[in-house]
Amino acid sequence: MVDESSIKGTLKLIRDVVYKNLTNEYLPFPMDKALATKWAYEAGVPKGGRVILYTSYMYQMAPVFKSFEKLLPTVGSLARIGFLASLGSRLVKPSDAEVKRASTVLKNIYAITRASRPGVGYLYEEEPYSGALLYELGFIDEFKEYGKRLEEFFKIRGVEEIITADPHTTFSLANYKRLIGFSIPFKNYLELPPIGVTGKGRFVIHDSCIYSRFLNMYDLIRQLTKDAGLEIVDDEKVTGRGIGFCCGGPLGPLNSKISDEMAKARANSLKSVNPEALVFCPLCYENLSPYIPVKDFAEVISP
Amino acid sequence: MSWLELITRISTNNYLEVERILKSHPYVRDAAKRLRERKMAVIENLDDYVKATMESVSRIGGHAYLAKDKQEAREIVSKILGDKKLVVMSKTNAAYEVNLREFLISQGKEVWETDLGEFLVQITNGWPSHIIVPAVDMNRERAAKAIKAIDPGISENASIEELVAAVRRFLMSKYINADAGITGANAVAADTGAVILVENEGNIRMVTVKPQVHIALAGIDKIVPTLADAFDEAMVQAAYAGLYPPTYVNLTAGPSSTADIEHTRVSPATGPKEFHLVLIDDGRLEASKDPVLKEALLCIRCGRCYFSCPTYRLLGKDWISTKSPYNGPMGVMWNYITNDDPWPSFYCTHSGGCREVCPMGINIPDIISYIKGKGTKQV
Repeated sequence: MVDESSIKGTLKLIRDVVYKNLTNEYLPFPMDKALATKWAYEAGVPKGGRVILYTSYMYQMAPVFKSFEKLLPTVGSLARIGFLASLGSRLVKPSDAEVKRASTVLKNIYAITRASRPGVGYLYEEEPYSGALLYELGFIDEFKEYGKRLEEFFKIRGVEEIITADPHTTFSLANYKRLIGFSIPFKNYLELPPIGVTGKGRFVIHDSCIYSRFLNMYDLIRQLTKDAGLEIVDDEKVTGRGIGFCCGGPLGPLNSKISDEMAKARANSLKSVNPEALVFCPLCYENLSPYIPVKDFAEVISP
Repeated sequence: MSWLELITRISTNNYLEVERILKSHPYVRDAAKRLRERKMAVIENLDDYVKATMESVSRIGGHAYLAKDKQEAREIVSKILGDKKLVVMSKTNAAYEVNLREFLISQGKEVWETDLGEFLVQITNGWPSHIIVPAVDMNRERAAKAIKAIDPGISENASIEELVAAVRRFLMSKYINADAGITGANAVAADTGAVILVENEGNIRMVTVKPQVHIALAGIDKIVPTLADAFDEAMVQAAYAGLYPPTYVNLTAGPSSTADIEHTRVSPATGPKEFHLVLIDDGRLEASKDPVLKEALLCIRCGRCYFSCPTYRLLGKDWISTKSPYNGPMGVMWNYITNDDPWPSFYCTHSGGCREVCPMGINIPDIISYIKGKGTKQV
């Protein structure tokens, strides 16, 4: 049976701490922005611009999002005693190895984007979080309010097109468009022409639920991987569009035990098809990697 | 075999079997599309369709009732039964929803479920794990132990066929002596007052014909405009449940009748003397007026969304538990509609599989998201 009181407690913290922080800082919780933006400095990405690559910190902070349930009570306590801003950025910090890996992924996504959008920029320390967590946890009214502020935020900075790097951010923008008429055009980087993208390896695809079933990218992703030279092993019983299984990520903030069990179950079924899995989402990577060797598409290709 | 291994095997088989059925019988998809439109027409005008259905039932010699909630439904059935003692039931989730079996037993009646899975759930004091396959979590060994309690002659090593035969023998005496039969309804036709029931075991045929009183319980969402639509619903439900063709489709339109003498239709004949249809509101009418929730009323209870759902496959009946007979993605919607309970929705991962496999094309993730929204307003 669902743990009603635990759900209510987490939701209260999300509303009181996360939503408040989003409203004030455009971030769900304080982050070490130097770490989150290091990849862009290294790659020499132009600052700002009409077309921007929007990471929403998903690749940089995925390890933190995975530990959200454990992190939230501490974040909540710090917020209550007014310490969140000063201590938060040290508290919410991925490891060096995680930062390095995220950097590789984002540099490749940037390269793919730049091939068809020369001059694409990045907002660096100013970059706001997408608000995905609000939608996924049912704070629909708050999500809509935040979306209006986000649109204004981008418009003030002259943003005319947004290229997203992950499914959760893309889906947030799609939902803003549907719910509040978000008017800035956006595309996911996987939808751009894959100019010169090549890679190698044999994988079973773990579909992002959002990409395959909500954004209708199931076939596109298979075509893309095939065109890049990757060998993909599909099994209708495990990777079929209607029977695909979640990585457990969305349950992380509410129940990490069930989230982990779901990840383990998914990893086991993927292993029955191929020893190594390919993902397209930073949260899928975080959830599945303890149980099966897994790579992100953007780290096995060379743009 | 663990629950996860079992349900993964069943889910995979069901997914592939339904895909095979739909490929072999493409007219089912056409019927599903048609049915969605017809059911939505009812939902948009539910008050009028309830009225029309009740009038049709009266016209064919039956009795129709509208229960506004669970308690009223129990009271209506109790009043119809009066001092009748032995009741046989076919698998009906509406009865579970209003807690009818336990209520009747508490009134001193002898009540037996006749669907094999439901019977196993009853004799083990359990709770259904799936809307179509209630004892899906019970293997042969556990079933044998349970059946030994009602038939001491059964060995715990008995084959599945021997177990089925033992239950058949036990229930046969109940059918013959039953005072009343209680069923659900897959669809109720507003134009004729006819009730359609799909099954494979033959128990519904016995329950609807042998006792002299037949009581059908149905949520008002089961109403469709015409008898043709009701047959569509039977066909689509069976196909998407992965059991196609179904062994039986039963139609009941009023008490038994005959027109064999002077072509004058009289009632009763061989079958039941009385037919009662108890329509249940229990939150449905309110849901039909909600722009988002109303789509949930299109659900035809095929149970296919359960199999596509990672949370159900992990938690099984523990997800929504005894709060409701409805589980899985559709259960999140129905538990909210009938119990005003938003909390199970928060364990939905929004994998989207439910929307992919739903025959009615219900945007289940969107509705669950809306229900989550109702929950967040309570904290």
